[in-house]
Amino acid sequence: MTEVVLSGTGLVKRFGATVALDGVDLSVGRGEALAIMGPSGSGKSTLLHCLAGIMKPDAGEVRLLGQRVDALGERRRSELRRTRFGFVFQFGQLLPELPADENVALPLMLGGTPRREAVRAARVWFGPLGLGGIESRRPGELSGGQAQRVAIARALVTRPAVVFADEPTGALDQNTGHETMRLLVEATKHNGASLVVVTHDVDVANWCDRRVEVRDGRLVDPARAEV
Amino acid sequence: MGTVLDLTWRLLRGGGRRGMLGSLLTAAAVAVSTGLLLFAVGANHAFGVRADADAWRHPKAAAGAATAVEALSTDHVRGRAVAVVDLAALGGGAPTPPGMPRFPRPGETWASPELAKLMRSLPADQLAGRFPPLAGTLGRDALVHPGELVAVVGRTADDPALTGKRPDDFGLGLTATPTRIAAFQTGAVSPLSETYRMLMLVASVLMVVPLLVFGGAAARLTVARRDQRLAALRLVGATPGQVVAVTVAEAVLTAAAGAVAGAALYGLTVPAVARIEIGGGAWYPADLWPGPQALLGVLLAVPVLVGISAVVGLRRVVVSPLGVARRETPPRMRAVRAVAFAVILVAFGAVGGSLSGMGRTGITVLLVFLGLAFVGINLVGPWVVALIGRVAVGTARGPVRLLAGRRLLDDPRAAWRTVAGIALTGFVAGFLSLLNPPAGDPAARTGRIGLSVSPARAEAVADRARERLAGLPATIRVERPGRGADDVPVVITVTGGPAEVDRARTALTGVLPGRTTATSDDDRSGDALLADVRTGALTVLAVSFLIATTSAGITGASAVLDRRQTYAMLRLAGTPLEVLDRARRQETLIPLAVLGGGSLATGLFFAAPFALGFGVGGALTLLACVVVGVAGIVGASALSRPLLRAVTTDPAPRPD
Repeated sequence: MTEVVLSGTGLVKRFGATVALDGVDLSVGRGEALAIMGPSGSGKSTLLHCLAGIMKPDAGEVRLLGQRVDALGERRRSELRRTRFGFVFQFGQLLPELPADENVALPLMLGGTPRREAVRAARVWFGPLGLGGIESRRPGELSGGQAQRVAIARALVTRPAVVFADEPTGALDQNTGHETMRLLVEATKHNGASLVVVTHDVDVANWCDRRVEVRDGRLVDPARAEV
Repeated sequence: MGTVLDLTWRLLRGGGRRGMLGSLLTAAAVAVSTGLLLFAVGANHAFGVRADADAWRHPKAAAGAATAVEALSTDHVRGRAVAVVDLAALGGGAPTPPGMPRFPRPGETWASPELAKLMRSLPADQLAGRFPPLAGTLGRDALVHPGELVAVVGRTADDPALTGKRPDDFGLGLTATPTRIAAFQTGAVSPLSETYRMLMLVASVLMVVPLLVFGGAAARLTVARRDQRLAALRLVGATPGQVVAVTVAEAVLTAAAGAVAGAALYGLTVPAVARIEIGGGAWYPADLWPGPQALLGVLLAVPVLVGISAVVGLRRVVVSPLGVARRETPPRMRAVRAVAFAVILVAFGAVGGSLSGMGRTGITVLLVFLGLAFVGINLVGPWVVALIGRVAVGTARGPVRLLAGRRLLDDPRAAWRTVAGIALTGFVAGFLSLLNPPAGDPAARTGRIGLSVSPARAEAVADRARERLAGLPATIRVERPGRGADDVPVVITVTGGPAEVDRARTALTGVLPGRTTATSDDDRSGDALLADVRTGALTVLAVSFLIATTSAGITGASAVLDRRQTYAMLRLAGTPLEVLDRARRQETLIPLAVLGGGSLATGLFFAAPFALGFGVGGALTLLACVVVGVAGIVGASALSRPLLRAVTTDPAPRPD
């Protein structure tokens, strides 16, 4: 594996009596696309949330480029998510009131970039992602595939170290899903970022360099799953 | 129908804690609305009861054979008015006065409980000496309010007090010349009571319109929260009729629960409301209950109105299920709203000046215009919100203003609903601040007692007064008659304070039979009316602010609930809570500043023709309203901050 960008060691997370993660070790290399697979309720989304600093694990540690993430306070983790991570979810991530370009520009503006400059930087992403001409449309006026591509642009606009995607094609048909995954993987790699995708769909996982499988909160023989 | 109710009940119960919270918010809004609506109806009822209670004291000449003589005067003790009713029977068959077991006999006095208490507590030469001996206490049917001072004095028909003409009181209903009557009057006859009833009607319009807007907003919020679900119902093939039925049933069920709670809430607050002093005293709590029919009417009308409001809010879902489910670009607010508002302003500008000289018609026209003003503000509000949104988006450099502006532009009606209450209260505050007369100056009180007599009798009356007042610190002089005046005042100046003034008054009883003595300070019925207008205005304002703040709180909380998924996603992607909260606050405060100010100015414009004075009181009222309004909105907004935190700390959109 190339240089490790993100790692989780001995991650444990419990929700009451339920053990969602039971000592997971995982690392992601620079520019690598990793698929985390598993059936519903296996703990794969919890793993993503711990790696992305959304949740604090009960035990174990998460590091981004050697720096502890899980030990940071909520404010610092929030800042880290905004500046070093990008997110693509199944749906509902775009603000319905904002036109597509402003949705993409939002993370830059939150980081202090003036609006005009942020929107200009955001629009750069529209052509390569096949979104030319829909910059001013609102999310309600976009197709599912277009909305996911806008979300990809938004995840990448801050030039993050890692992009996290949770079932990014879950709400799309097969063809659109393929196209979206292709764009997500290519655009992420093109920007030198790593990609962590949570999915239960083998076709989606096939787009990634490597895949691991979570069952009952543990990684199941990751070596066997390596592509 | 059974299926619809069953489905509605399942949806209500199956909404989970958050769904239930939404329904509870709506029910709470309806409860507050109902309580305040009952307050408006109850207050009107109470003024009606008061007007009736006062009627018997105003004699009306008998058309046929008279059975009694009745006269009215207004005396004063310690600066408080005492209504003195003189009665004499003409043979048999004299009617029994209200609140008394029988017609009074000559030489006896019946006093209201409060007057009887005063007669016992003050030295006889200050009050009791003015009346024949006490024979009994008047019951509540004889009284306007519990603390009222009333004396009924029995006399013979040839008593000098019942033979002379009494001075004109310019239609205020404070005195009445002895009149031969066959029965006591009923219904509202006193012009002063009528004035109070009219003012109460104006106050009702000022309170009820914002209430209806608020209730409607609450109903539409129910729909807004449900629209995804209802659109889904449409998508799976429910007919528009079924969707409407489910929504209306849900809104009506929630509203019915809220209305009953509101009635209970009002019942609990009646004792406190009864303490508000208007028209010289506090209220009989029973008078403030609107009566079973009106109560039932309100309890039925509120859920029906909420149901209608829900249907109106549903139009978009029914017409276009995909439109709501997918959130298309909303249609622009049309400028015709602003034009309609301008037309109302111009129309009022044209006729407003002449309203004060038109009597009852003027009041009616004013009421219509007040209603129109509310409609106009409600029409122009969302248009202005959209305009503000456009300006905010155009000028935004950072994310906070951009988010706030886009949100305003996206759904100006929803943003308007949050601030509508305060904006309409701004109108009420502006309107009432000009009806805020400066309070009378207590330092100007004097011990000048005036007795009006014909010039020929003036010196004789002055001499008799000197005899009666011997030993008291009083000087007596006859003033020069004015040109063309019928009467001249005999002016008695008493030094030594209220006790000496009351002693002098008591000593002077009977100098001019049937006439009471009055100081220039006593003749303050005009001041009292103005003071009551002030009290009423402050009550209406308090009610309006209560509505507005509750409205802002509920709509603020609902807005957070409605957008919880978006907020959670934004937080998850690293958006600081402060940014979300600031955007949310700007979304409310920017339109509030513009619309609150605009409504206030509109209120001032509508009150200008009737301005009673502004002065320090008016300025303070306005300032207090602005402070309370802003504090109310900020406070209400702060209340939903924990809710925002709660919905955004749930980081997992999916359980695994």
